[in-house]
Amino acid sequence: MTTTQAPRIVTVRQNILKANDHTAAGNRAAFRAAGVRAINLASSPGAGKTALLERTLRDLAGSVRMGVAVGDLATENDAARLRQWGSQAEQIVTGTVCHLDADMVQNILPRFDLDALDVLFLENVGNLVCPSSYDLGEAARAVLISTTEGEDKPLKYPTMFNTADVVVITKMDIADAVGFDRDLCRENIDRARPGVPVIELSSRSGAGLDEWFAFVRGESV
Amino acid sequence: MHEASIALSLIDVASEVLRENGGARASALTVRVGAWSSVVPEALTAAFPACAQGTPLEGARLSVVLVPGVGECPTHGPVTLDVRRGLRCPACGAPTPTLLQGDELELDEIELAEPELEDS
Ligand SMILES: [Zn+2]
Repeated sequence: MTTTQAPRIVTVRQNILKANDHTAAGNRAAFRAAGVRAINLASSPGAGKTALLERTLRDLAGSVRMGVAVGDLATENDAARLRQWGSQAEQIVTGTVCHLDADMVQNILPRFDLDALDVLFLENVGNLVCPSSYDLGEAARAVLISTTEGEDKPLKYPTMFNTADVVVITKMDIADAVGFDRDLCRENIDRARPGVPVIELSSRSGAGLDEWFAFVRGESV
Repeated sequence: MHEASIALSLIDVASEVLRENGGARASALTVRVGAWSSVVPEALTAAFPACAQGTPLEGARLSVVLVPGVGECPTHGPVTLDVRRGLRCPACGAPTPTLLQGDELELDEIELAEPELEDS
């Protein structure tokens, strides 16, 4: 026999990702204590994150001490590609999970000597949806979009762009060839995140890289 | 899709609330999902039952309330935004850089289930 009572309703109003945010705050404190600028890099697959990182590691080697934690679903290709420029690159195998979260970053940090770094790149899984929900403890979030993607991407993925500290348009060297509408893309970026700095660059030609390097160093864009 | 990850986090938060309130099981829960939260309500409701198996949330009804984006227009005050148009006042097109609401992803409330006495 059961006695019937009115159901008890508990008002909670709690952020579902509070555990992630708590871990992210710990990561952020660790970065700050070691003087490391952590940069969360997000983009669609094929937007040129790894190419830009390679170029950055190559050109800034010697002036900025950099490390990379790269999230990937399974293979370790990206980390191997990145190591050839002399910086430490560690793979975070995310399995079936399509984004980095703060726990994954916390777990990989012991492999780095943070005191020996100026900048740590957190290369997210190629995806413009899921990574936007997860704070990793980064100092800044860079969202990449290439000239070969649709100019309406910023409006299709509002959360990702709305949380960006800088938006980078990559593959500018082929912009004309692919019929990239620069003004429309910039207008849509500004709709998604009014006033956000935008950097147009080409990792291949080197155009625009100075602005990107200034952002990497934490100088104003 | 990260809705399975979100569902698992939701179950963690809800289980904690149940423990704090001395409830063994939940019969229903309500979640508020902002239009700018990057979570698709249908995907979350689809992922939830499987993720809840074997937890105190198993069998609980999940309701998702979609919270529209609201921005602050300098001329028109608080305005409801259209996600396809971005952070722009729908009336005058002025940028509304700050979301007053619409980025939430929160467990709103839980209905505790009464313990069932098992037949012996
Ligand atoms: Zn207005």
